Amino acid sequence: MIRFDQVSFAYNRNNVLEDVSFTVDFSERVAILGGSGYGKTTILKLILGLIRPDSGRILIDGDDITGKTEDELRVPRMKFSIVFQEGALFDSLNVKENVAFCLREYSRFTEEEIDQRVREILRIVDVEDAIYLKPEELSGGMHRRVAIARALAGCNPKMFLYDEPTSGLDPVNAENICKLIVDLAKDGKGFMVVTHKVTDALKVAERFMFLKDGKIQLDGNRKELVGSADPDIQQFFSELRPGAERRGL
Amino acid sequence: MNTLRLKGLVYDLQEFYLLSARGLLGIVRRPFYFNDTIEQMDYAGAGSFFIIVLVSLFVGMALSLQLSAELSIMGLKTYTGKIVGISIIRELGPMVVALVYTGRVGAGIASELGSMVLGHQVDTLRVFGVDPIKKLVTPRIISSLVMLPVLTIIGDLVSLLGSYYIAVFISHQSSTFFWSSIRQVLTFQNVFSGSFKPFIFGFLITCICCFMGLSTKGGSQGLRQATTQAVVLSIIAIIVFDFVLTRILLYVLGFSV
Repeated sequence: MIRFDQVSFAYNRNNVLEDVSFTVDFSERVAILGGSGYGKTTILKLILGLIRPDSGRILIDGDDITGKTEDELRVPRMKFSIVFQEGALFDSLNVKENVAFCLREYSRFTEEEIDQRVREILRIVDVEDAIYLKPEELSGGMHRRVAIARALAGCNPKMFLYDEPTSGLDPVNAENICKLIVDLAKDGKGFMVVTHKVTDALKVAERFMFLKDGKIQLDGNRKELVGSADPDIQQFFSELRPGAERRGL
Repeated sequence: MNTLRLKGLVYDLQEFYLLSARGLLGIVRRPFYFNDTIEQMDYAGAGSFFIIVLVSLFVGMALSLQLSAELSIMGLKTYTGKIVGISIIRELGPMVVALVYTGRVGAGIASELGSMVLGHQVDTLRVFGVDPIKKLVTPRIISSLVMLPVLTIIGDLVSLLGSYYIAVFISHQSSTFFWSSIRQVLTFQNVFSGSFKPFIFGFLITCICCFMGLSTKGGSQGLRQATTQAVVLSIIAIIVFDFVLTRILLYVLGFSV
């Protein structure tokens, strides 16, 4: 379980999060919504201990990670697998080496077993043909799929974190990535998706948090999000209204 | 504002020392990234070979030309070999090679690590439980500690060949006398003095460039700034430490000034 207890964070005196509190279970499917610079990615980075809050506590399975050293953070970080925006694949490694990175680092698999496991994962995300390609040779959609494959190959995470998984993708690829995210959560592993695309959030998540001005303006289910009278949320929806109406939202 | 800047500077210095110490300690602590080290050695060593040979050759030739011209006025042309030898082995060789190494390898390190930071690749390493300093800094430190001294020796030899060409074929000095002068200056003190510096320079260049690269912030402009600062700071460090090391080595090796 992830618990934020009155967490505040500022970049160069610019308040990004102010006394933010919430609790998320590892099995939940959460979407964090909000515009650019509203602190969505900051929340993911705080969960992973990549940055430290200015005040407040962050508890992972009851364990306060706020004051932990880089070595001590290794265990709580192992509970997550993250897909960063743009994928963050290692440029110097090909697809196979990227996906096998964690397996080589932490498992005692032989090269044959690693090869087999990597192919299996790449088959799940449907990019097996790209196994020997370098990241710069991949399209945007393939890039994101390989990043998800690498996250899947991680050390049995309890929860997946996705940072803008569909940004920059065409609607078909975005749809496929959304399907993949939902499929991967079928075995009970939850996820947190950070996105500014309401349509994508509605496709994948069950719980929605809307961030603005450093605070969570809304934390609720699909019905509460769609029915919210909050002008900020309404404004966020307005650009999508024709599409939303077509789906009867 | 000034207090904030001072705080920032002290914090950066502290982080730099920590990175340098942890990077160095990584050499003797598990896990060892053997393949990364070999890859870095190939990039830094084999990749820099041609440019080091080219620059060293012309430095040796230019030095020899200048000295031959000046010494012939005083009727001391035969001292060219000795002065060129001492200058190259003790001072110019290590410094020139380190400066070229900074331009090629140092800038490469800073920009590569900087783009890894901006592309969240370093964060990904941390999430995977991999220490970025051990994975990214230590192999580069090992590579520089091995390759810069080797490149310096190669550079010295090529510089001496260049100066030999000028002294013998342009300035018409005796080939035998030139080489015997060089042999005279190939003492333990001179060779030690010249081959000790590249270890320190290599360590400094790598640590500065890794630190600047890993501290990159703010997109492509930040990357440009980090790379420029890495090269500028490395050059300043090389020149300052060259003076300090020369002073120390002269004292330790028993030279009187």
